[in-house]
Amino acid sequence: PVNFLQELPSYRSIARKRTNIPSRDKQSGTLLKPTDSYSSQLEEGIAENLNSQSIRKYALNISEKRRLRDIQETQMKYLSEWDQWKRYSSKSWKRFIEKAREMTTHLELWRDDIRSIGGKFGTGIQSYFSFLRFLVLLNLVIFLIIFMLVLLPILLTEYKITNSSFVLIPAKDIDIQCTVYPISSSGLIYFYSYIIDLLSGTGFLEETCLFYGHYTIDGVKFQNFTYDLPLAYLLSTIAYLALSLLWIVKRSVEGFKINLIRSEEHFQSYCNKIFAGWDFCITNQSMANLKHSSLRYELRADLEEERIRQKIAERTSEETIRIYSLRLFLNCIVLAVLAACFYAIYRATIFSQEHMKKEIDKMIFGENLLILYLPSIVITLANFITPVIFARIIHYEDYSPGFEIRLTILRCVFMRLATICVLVFTLGSKITSCDNYSCELCGYNQKLYPCWETQVGQEMYKLMIFDFIIILAVTLFVDFPRKLLVTYCSSWKLMQCWGQQEFAIPDNVLGIVYGQTICWIGAFFSPLLPAIATVKFIIIFYVKEMSLLHTCRPSPRQFRASNSNFFFLLVLLIGLCLAVIPLTISMAHIPSSKACGPFTNSNTTWEVVPKTVSTFPSTLQSLVHGITSEAFAVPFFMIICLVMFYFIALAGAHKRVVVQLREQLSLESRDKRYLIQKLTEAQRD
Amino acid sequence: MGQCLRYQIHWEDLEEYQALTFLTRNEIPVCRLNIHDTFLKLCPPGKYYKEATLTTDQVSSLPALRANPFRDRICRVFSHNDVFSFEDVLGMASVFSEQACPSLKIEYAFRIYDFNENGFIDEEDLQRIVLRLLNSDDVSEDLLTDLTSHVLNESDLDNDNMLSFSEFEHAMNKAPDFMNSFRIHFWGC
Repeated sequence: PVNFLQELPSYRSIARKRTNIPSRDKQSGTLLKPTDSYSSQLEEGIAENLNSQSIRKYALNISEKRRLRDIQETQMKYLSEWDQWKRYSSKSWKRFIEKAREMTTHLELWRDDIRSIGGKFGTGIQSYFSFLRFLVLLNLVIFLIIFMLVLLPILLTEYKITNSSFVLIPAKDIDIQCTVYPISSSGLIYFYSYIIDLLSGTGFLEETCLFYGHYTIDGVKFQNFTYDLPLAYLLSTIAYLALSLLWIVKRSVEGFKINLIRSEEHFQSYCNKIFAGWDFCITNQSMANLKHSSLRYELRADLEEERIRQKIAERTSEETIRIYSLRLFLNCIVLAVLAACFYAIYRATIFSQEHMKKEIDKMIFGENLLILYLPSIVITLANFITPVIFARIIHYEDYSPGFEIRLTILRCVFMRLATICVLVFTLGSKITSCDNYSCELCGYNQKLYPCWETQVGQEMYKLMIFDFIIILAVTLFVDFPRKLLVTYCSSWKLMQCWGQQEFAIPDNVLGIVYGQTICWIGAFFSPLLPAIATVKFIIIFYVKEMSLLHTCRPSPRQFRASNSNFFFLLVLLIGLCLAVIPLTISMAHIPSSKACGPFTNSNTTWEVVPKTVSTFPSTLQSLVHGITSEAFAVPFFMIICLVMFYFIALAGAHKRVVVQLREQLSLESRDKRYLIQKLTEAQRD
Repeated sequence: MGQCLRYQIHWEDLEEYQALTFLTRNEIPVCRLNIHDTFLKLCPPGKYYKEATLTTDQVSSLPALRANPFRDRICRVFSHNDVFSFEDVLGMASVFSEQACPSLKIEYAFRIYDFNENGFIDEEDLQRIVLRLLNSDDVSEDLLTDLTSHVLNESDLDNDNMLSFSEFEHAMNKAPDFMNSFRIHFWGC
């Protein structure tokens, strides 16, 4: 029957489209050697699609491609002048684009390192490192935006490079008490206070351009115009948030398109695992053995999961009720654990803030640092303990294995990122709560926080430094000793149980997304934070690479690259959304400090925008007012909803058509087989 | 032990190879360098590199292909009369390079996976693919039939228990890992 199938016109036309060569020689299985009929058929093929693809895309070997190209060039002579010129210019344009692309790939950072990691440890871990590289670039671009919009005019004026001056508008209608900003300078400075200042952003670092308080300027007057610094500061914040969102969405669109097209269960495609399961770039035998065992594990686990899902579908209603009530109870426990951690962070922050205000210079060195870093320490401890608890709890909830992993990871992600929000909200509540008298004077607690944005910036700075120190410390004091112990004391039972380190992708990804969320929140309050984050991520890249190459063994359970990319970008997006919330609240609700910063003349940070809009010409003003009014927003929202419903209906209709076509196709195929069978029987008679 | 005549690749040849394949300017000489070393050790004396050939065993033992479970199929698809000329190797490297277009990779993947070379990937081919992937001795019949039936469920659109080229192409266009995994770096190994 297969012989007949190969003679069918549909098979032949597809074969011709593929290679421009007639049917394959069955015995040798290789392509036919060129003959006269071959070249005439080639010409037919070319005449069919004269605007065809470039020669490279043909599935022929090089000598045949050469012949094809010669034929194409002789064909070109029969074209008109215009067509020839068009063909020539499109070819040279394509060549130019390729050369440009080649040159940009040389500029790609760490290309060889990441490739060699992929060859040795698989594409899942390789995608972790390319994710890290993406974050380095993102932070660099964010810092460039902030530099161009905010730092550059100030530096130009300070160092007298251009002929400009600062504009300082005196504050009006504000109580003089709000503008008092005592810079603490004690008499005797101990030598270690510099170290404390460096680690916590107080003292000599507080007035530098690292923090918000340095930018107490209302404008920079150049020769022809006045550069509005408060507006630039606000716009740089909005710009970097928007840029991060767009870049992340652009990166995730490729993976998303593929996932949306599929109708099957996400991550569960057997075709993908079998035809695209083997990483062809694996070069050493031990890695190949590992890949074999991971494929064995994965395929068996998938089949197992199917069986469990069938079992779940066959549950009796009694069992279902029991399982659901158990799950409800366990979720309450999870919520209780989360609430306990959040409360601990809340108390630690309040304790740290209260004691920081007291005589911190009179304390001993260690106690100093402990109080300053208490929130960070509590957050880190909570992030060590809760994944263990979650992993224990989920066993009792009786989900399928794939779902278990995903739910645990989701809970850990939420835990990690929500801790930062809790910290920021605690600070916010402390800033807006005044104990004896109400905050009517300045809108915030100006006795304790004369310049509250700088202090929030200092907390973010401390979190970032502490996170960096912890990552370095864990690598130095846990990973390397573990590897040494395993290598030299492998006879101990404990070492055999514990074993060598595996590179745990989810934990590492959460760590760097945590760092990036801190950077996003902190960049408003501390404009140099993205630069620090860039340097930090660069150092982390090399540290993690060394740790991976020298202390880790490849994990038997490997993440796939496609899963990984989607997961990383999803977590990053959650971090971005969680970072935007405290920023919007602090920009729109909490009054900006009147003692420092660019927003001393407006009530809140956001007020700069309405003020600027009121300086526009009146037509533009009314346009802006029109767009932001309800009369525009409500119909706009309704139109968007209608468009969305239209596309959903369209997608449903397409899906129905696809199902019908598939049924039709299988019916046709049955007919075809029946006819072939009849034909073979008729031939036999 | 012979010595091949050591010729530098002429500039025009390099340009031509770059136009005809997906390899970049840097990859061709290095690729050739690797092959050239092997050529040096194994080919008969006094032969120009363009005319020298390698056997499939020699290509199978290249570091890039050594650990690949499908290396015999790769060699069979890309060789002519069971030998590799220099241009055959270049063609192979071009298909597996990063810049190659998806349609070319899908075409050659289909040829590689079609073990019995009847123009379709049928159940027998699928079973052999799975056995090569798992590379273990105790694979139960149930597991094999389960896996093959799942693959056919997902991608066999006309229900004839075989994958034709269009069905395979359709399935690979939806597979997110295909482009990433169907890559071999012949240089720098």
